[in-house]
Amino acid sequence: MTLPAKAFQRWLQGIAPDASTADVCRISGIKRTTLAQQLVRGKVSVSTVVSISRAYNVNPLSALATFEAYQDLAGPQVPPSRCELVSQVSTPDLLRAVLARPAMEQAGASGTASPPLSAAPHATSVKNWVDAIDDGEVRHRVSAATGVAPQNYSAQLTANRLSPELALATALAAGVGPAGGLVATGLITEEEAGWPPGARQAALDSLSDGDLTALAGDRLQALGKVLRRQEQDQAQTEKIWENLG
Amino acid sequence: MIEILQWSTLATCGLIAAARVPSAVRGENRSLFYIFGLMTVAILLSIEKPYVAIDQALGGINLANLLLRFIIFAAIYFVGIRVTRGFGADSAYRRITGKAGMVVLLVISLALVVLFFMMDTVGSSAGLAAVSEKSERNFVLVEYYGAAGRAYPAYISLVLLPAMVRAVRGRLPILVRIAAALLATGGVAIALTLLFPVVPPEWGAVEFVINYTAVLCFVLGLALIWAARVKNSRVSPAKRTYTEK
Repeated sequence: MTLPAKAFQRWLQGIAPDASTADVCRISGIKRTTLAQQLVRGKVSVSTVVSISRAYNVNPLSALATFEAYQDLAGPQVPPSRCELVSQVSTPDLLRAVLARPAMEQAGASGTASPPLSAAPHATSVKNWVDAIDDGEVRHRVSAATGVAPQNYSAQLTANRLSPELALATALAAGVGPAGGLVATGLITEEEAGWPPGARQAALDSLSDGDLTALAGDRLQALGKVLRRQEQDQAQTEKIWENLG
Repeated sequence: MIEILQWSTLATCGLIAAARVPSAVRGENRSLFYIFGLMTVAILLSIEKPYVAIDQALGGINLANLLLRFIIFAAIYFVGIRVTRGFGADSAYRRITGKAGMVVLLVISLALVVLFFMMDTVGSSAGLAAVSEKSERNFVLVEYYGAAGRAYPAYISLVLLPAMVRAVRGRLPILVRIAAALLATGGVAIALTLLFPVVPPEWGAVEFVINYTAVLCFVLGLALIWAARVKNSRVSPAKRTYTEK
């Protein structure tokens, strides 16, 4: 969902009272035609607001919170849960962490400090985030609350996408901090969402060897499924070309 | 209008057949070249002037029409084999080449030949229009003969239809999915030709449009798969060097 142009203009007046549209575009790196088109249509995208607020040193989260559709983002920031934090660790980082655990260390290659975690989002961050906060009913509640069909919701997750309003609705339906989904989709950074620095690393370190290994196993299994499906699709395509190309 | 449709279909089909000559010489999927070649001849034979010329050479008893029917059967048979093989539709493949398919082909062919020789077929006339007008008996026989000639293509296209619908909904490359949609449309059009006896005579043009829609859909669908392969083989070497670096 987009933001109404009127509300956007009002907000822009608040943070950059004297700036022309051209100035705003230049500072925030948005293409002038893009913004002009969004204004003409009366629908301004959420990422436009995020870019502009970053350019004017306004926290994007509090900027979004001034819009009616995103007012749930206002208020005291809820710290992310451990499972949310771990879900935002990429699979390669997770596997490295498993290998660094004493349970896995036989060759005695300890002592090498693991490299810092790559920043969120990662290749399956959206799906992992929803899986991490899902109590089994979240998808139903989201689809009831937003009217988005479950299969469309699943399709977005499979593509590692989630529209900002669905990300917010998912967080609310799961009862976690409202900004988590926006981090998982890469709209805002962990820092902007108020996640403490090193929180993901700490959450990862706090997992027991057993939990971490099981989690890594789940990730690998999901990855294997995706890769196998891609291989099957590829094989089928090759067969079509072999016979009909 | 109908003339334009006829000649442009002929041109399209002939061009594609000609374009496949180099790959046929290289030995790549010769049967596809034969399919396009047969279809080109079939279209040629369904246009008044070339039909009369060829039929005169064959003795002027409309043997060219019988020939046309069997050319269509051969083309659609090869299309069926190639498409079911390519799309991995094993049950459809068995229904074409297995006992059931052979029985259908044999019964329809016999009926076609018997009906043809029961008619008084002297005097070349495309679509047997003049033959049909000779007598009440001929009129009925031409109707049955036409129905028999449409029955086999309809059988094959109905056998192909489920596999095509599955392919359209699947995760194949977009060009292949469009091709499958075209083949499915062609299949539906061919199946619709079975309803021709109940189409009121004043809607004669509808029959032409359906016929040529079917042919065009099949030809373009097959050509599109070929195009998708050519496109892929041009793109993928570049991709490979990129990832291997």
